Amino acid sequence: MKAALALPILALPTRAGAAETGEVGFSTLGYKERGLIKVTEPLLWLRAKLGEDWEVAASGAVDVVTGASPELITNRDRASNGEARFAQTVTGASINDRRTTADAKVTRHFGDFALSVTRAVSNEEDYRSRAFGVEARLDLDQRNTTLTAGFGRSADRVRSSVDATLDAPRDTKEYLLGVTQLLSPLALVQSTVSVARGRGWYNDPYKLTLSFYPDDPIPVLAPDQRPDHRNSMAWLTRYRRHFPGAGGTLQVDYRYYRDDWGIRAHALEGAWEQALGERWSIRPALRYYTQQAADFYSPLAPEMQPAVQSSDQRLASFGGLSPSLRVTLRLESGFVVEGTAGYLHNAAALHAGGSGSPAFETLRAIYGLLSVSRAF
Amino acid sequence: MRPRAAGWVALVAALVAAGCAHVPAYQRGYLARPAMAVEDSPSERAFDKTFSAKEAASGGTSVGGGGCGCN
Repeated sequence: MKAALALPILALPTRAGAAETGEVGFSTLGYKERGLIKVTEPLLWLRAKLGEDWEVAASGAVDVVTGASPELITNRDRASNGEARFAQTVTGASINDRRTTADAKVTRHFGDFALSVTRAVSNEEDYRSRAFGVEARLDLDQRNTTLTAGFGRSADRVRSSVDATLDAPRDTKEYLLGVTQLLSPLALVQSTVSVARGRGWYNDPYKLTLSFYPDDPIPVLAPDQRPDHRNSMAWLTRYRRHFPGAGGTLQVDYRYYRDDWGIRAHALEGAWEQALGERWSIRPALRYYTQQAADFYSPLAPEMQPAVQSSDQRLASFGGLSPSLRVTLRLESGFVVEGTAGYLHNAAALHAGGSGSPAFETLRAIYGLLSVSRAF
Repeated sequence: MRPRAAGWVALVAALVAAGCAHVPAYQRGYLARPAMAVEDSPSERAFDKTFSAKEAASGGTSVGGGGCGCN
């Protein structure tokens, strides 16, 4: 199965001190991975205030995934010195997958306190997700400090387009604590810790490992086998600092992630949003990511099969760089047009401190997004 | 949460609290700029999924969003 992720619930940005307004928008995201995978995703969203105390937000999107996905890791090829070379092989027919998703959020304000409930649904041929969340927000000291606490739960069903008998549950509970603090008239910081506890089916039924051994003419073919639980923690800190003289804003995001699969990951993004007159702005950004492999990651299937083993390179040790550029135009009519283009480069050599997984196949992809929105 | 992690969280919270000033509402003009937002727009959330579909790590921004069988 393609690896499942947590889908972030819709959260339109709330600017400190700004008047609340409604907003509607449409965007299209495109992603193309070196001739393999192509994704297009139209997305529609809406946010509106209802009276003084109520606020609603909703979004819907359709992911269309076409192309071929690497499904087999093998060491069949060898270098001239006999050293094993690992290769990803595309097996089976090309994929053509469609995922529809929708979410809604209702917020009730009680003065400095706000309570939100959310609901999210996602459907695709081999994966179904139903989730809800509750979030509380408390403004202190005239909104100089904002405390946030949240709980969410998702009940997912994992299926397979190649195995009709697979219909397994995966349940996840999430907890979140956060604080947003104004540091000065020009700067603020937000720090959030989220903890997730998952139980259920995590194996990817589309991933296989085929390993050859010199002393055995019969290769080992191993399915993807992962633990039946996943407990994780993510700590995200965001810093914003405006420089009035330069007319620009520094944006720095750092996230530390760890889980009980042995994965340790860091993501750091720095961006500079520069205003060009009243209507235009550009935002160059650079994101760096590095992760340590899962304990059970191995591109080789052992002859004596362990209880858990996966050659999925998304569980390997690697690093990644992604530069991007966003251009924004704010029209007099109130429409905001945004265009973003980016490049993604993941490689073993980019792993922090070196020592990325040797079998990791370099990933190169381009992505872009066009968005039109309007406040009302 | 493990005691060590809780300690780091408390340390960051203390540093933040120690380094901040009270900003009255009439001085928040710059803080209200869109570039100062700390919550992702729907478009930015779509980018999060672009990265997390190729990485093992995810999350940290919200709860209750559900999962997907993303490639």
